[in-house]
Amino acid sequence: MLRRDFVRAVVSVSFAPRSLLSQQPANPAPPPPAPVPWTLGLNPKTPLPHTEVVDGITETEQRFFTPVEMATLVRLCDVLLPPIGDKPGALQAETPLFLDFLIGSSPAARKKVYTGGLNWLNSESQKRYRQPFAKLDDTQADAILKPWLRTWMNDHPPPEPHADFVNIAHDDIRTATVNSKAWSEIPSADAQASTTAGLYWSPIEPDIYAESSDRTRIPAHVIAAPKSANAIPAYPR
Amino acid sequence: MTNETFDVLIIGSGHAGGMAAKVLTESGIRCLMLNAGPVADVARNAQHKPAYELPYRGFKPPGRLEHVFQANEFNANVWVDEQEVPYTFDAANPYNWVRVRLFGGRSLFWSRQSFRLSDYEFKGKAHDGFGEDWPIGHADLAPYYSRVEDIFQVSGAMDGPPQMPDGNFVLDDEPWSQSMQRFIAASKPFNMPVCKQRRALGRDGLASSVNLLLPDAERTGKLTSIANAVVRELTVDKNTGQPNGCHFVDRLSRREMHVKARVVVLAAGTLESTRLLLNSSVGNSSGLVGRYLMDQVYGPGVTCSVPEGRNGKATKELMGGGAIVPRFRNITTKSTTFLRGYALNVTSRIAPVDPRNFAAYGAKLQQKLQEYHGSSFHMTMMGEVLGRYENHVRINKGKVDAWGIPVLHVETKYTENEYNMAKDAVEVGSAVAEAAGFEVLSKNMVPNPPGYSIHEVGTCRMGDDPKRSVLNRWCQSHDHKNLFVVDGASFTSAGWQNPTMTILALSMRASEYLAGEMSKRNI
Repeated sequence: MLRRDFVRAVVSVSFAPRSLLSQQPANPAPPPPAPVPWTLGLNPKTPLPHTEVVDGITETEQRFFTPVEMATLVRLCDVLLPPIGDKPGALQAETPLFLDFLIGSSPAARKKVYTGGLNWLNSESQKRYRQPFAKLDDTQADAILKPWLRTWMNDHPPPEPHADFVNIAHDDIRTATVNSKAWSEIPSADAQASTTAGLYWSPIEPDIYAESSDRTRIPAHVIAAPKSANAIPAYPR
Repeated sequence: MTNETFDVLIIGSGHAGGMAAKVLTESGIRCLMLNAGPVADVARNAQHKPAYELPYRGFKPPGRLEHVFQANEFNANVWVDEQEVPYTFDAANPYNWVRVRLFGGRSLFWSRQSFRLSDYEFKGKAHDGFGEDWPIGHADLAPYYSRVEDIFQVSGAMDGPPQMPDGNFVLDDEPWSQSMQRFIAASKPFNMPVCKQRRALGRDGLASSVNLLLPDAERTGKLTSIANAVVRELTVDKNTGQPNGCHFVDRLSRREMHVKARVVVLAAGTLESTRLLLNSSVGNSSGLVGRYLMDQVYGPGVTCSVPEGRNGKATKELMGGGAIVPRFRNITTKSTTFLRGYALNVTSRIAPVDPRNFAAYGAKLQQKLQEYHGSSFHMTMMGEVLGRYENHVRINKGKVDAWGIPVLHVETKYTENEYNMAKDAVEVGSAVAEAAGFEVLSKNMVPNPPGYSIHEVGTCRMGDDPKRSVLNRWCQSHDHKNLFVVDGASFTSAGWQNPTMTILALSMRASEYLAGEMSKRNI
């Protein structure tokens, strides 16, 4: 090769990439980091993994009630909603531990209804029978509970102390049990309640900014048992 | 740069806004509709599930929506989040502000009870001297009610007394069940009229703005709609002093926007429309924007059992059907303990009786539930709340919502009038039930907090005197002829009736007036 040809070849090679680049768009997309872009692939035909609800497979960790309160709640659940026929009772539906989670996540007023109520049950039991509520037989437990049972309409539980706890707890225990997986697995006969089912709405275009920002708070919920003559009770949940 | 000026800006997409959009666009008027929330798509956003698949087994998520008694875990995400859009009140006087910001607003979720107001409401002051009369009467609104009833396919019978005017109904000629016949017979000595329920059948299972009104507006090609547009304030033309559009913020991005329009129609729901006026300092020369907040007393009621329907003996001939007992107090007689009156919703059902109706538990409770299954008979009260100046909302400048917009402070409470009415309703309901041979299982005289009925009305009441009212008889601001409020804020009195039909009729009437004035270039 003549020296002149060699120089021409070197110059053309050194300019080639630049001339190639000049044919590209102004801001080309960066090359993919891997053979397939990582969000590509999921499509309507993709099989969905089958998952189970946790109830009946795993156990809820007790976080809220004290051991004594929990023992009282366990006994209360068993007394108020024992197994009837083929249907599981509150204990088989793991209602006490579910309520530990639910009440522990609830506003202070609701926590107070429960902790106050469970402690009252236990002290009443000690006073009458010199043993904790958890150790009472059905007749003894009934003697404490029955005087406080009331009839009531939705959103208006009895406001008087003790009756509020007994009736609210009874309602919650029934709801938690009837809506459990264990209850749903046994067909309901005649007038037995059925597990609630319905149209569940997911968050609709949720506002992630608001979820993460400091937000102003509304006033504390109203008390469960207002004192004035014409007070309007609300049931803090 | 986009600088389009719309003919009419409509804020809100529920029954009131949807009707305004339909009427105005069908008159050839270009409208822009802003809605604060997104579009709800059942196919995309909802799924049928059993409660045990949800985190709280169907219980309302704790601490959320404390003032939405209607909320449960299934529907918790459709209501306005009380922390995202807070409001304040004195803890001694709670208020339940129940809101939906999805496109279509609360028209997506309502009980469908469809009543006209009568002149006992429009001209209440003439009857008992309390409050103010509306500047219109039933005769003014009747033609509009009739057209609304046709659109919403309201079913009912032509059995209304003067205090519950009949309408343009899909006739309900179902015979009364025997339990209802017994109730009717027992109610006669109490001078209680018992009528067939009146409810909007709608179409395809829904009676909402999104399926009965907005499609008509969209077909005209004259409607532009924007979702997730949270209106911050109305803007005012510096030269004319008239409203000329609004500032809004995109709900998700926080991008601040504005839009211009020749006319502004507020249809954001009673308290949101009022909040917007107050935050904009517009239309309040009377000082009455926010005043005379009213709703209806809900909560009191009676639950009964029909003995003949127990132990598996309930039949369709015996049980079933619904009735409305329209207001019967202070019509031909005069109560000594309260003004105005209440209605009773009456329902007979072959259905389980709620366990709360028995002071029992365990096997004994189950035995009761078994025995009483299918025999349930209910009465619930809807009572008129009087319009009082002191019951009001105002801006709380110390608190803002998620978009920095000052929130409302609600100051309202029920008085002896409402409590006495509730007591009377439960006493009379129980007495009639017992006279009919029913067993009363439970009753409640205590009202739910104000607001619970989701029938908040007033705060921009209409009237002929600009010093004593905010709007004129056309729902038009006394201060600004290009500003209209077409939702429940215009009510001068609340009545006992579900307000939806009246809101729709008022919005239709106001919008036709507006279209006429625009065509005559008066606005």
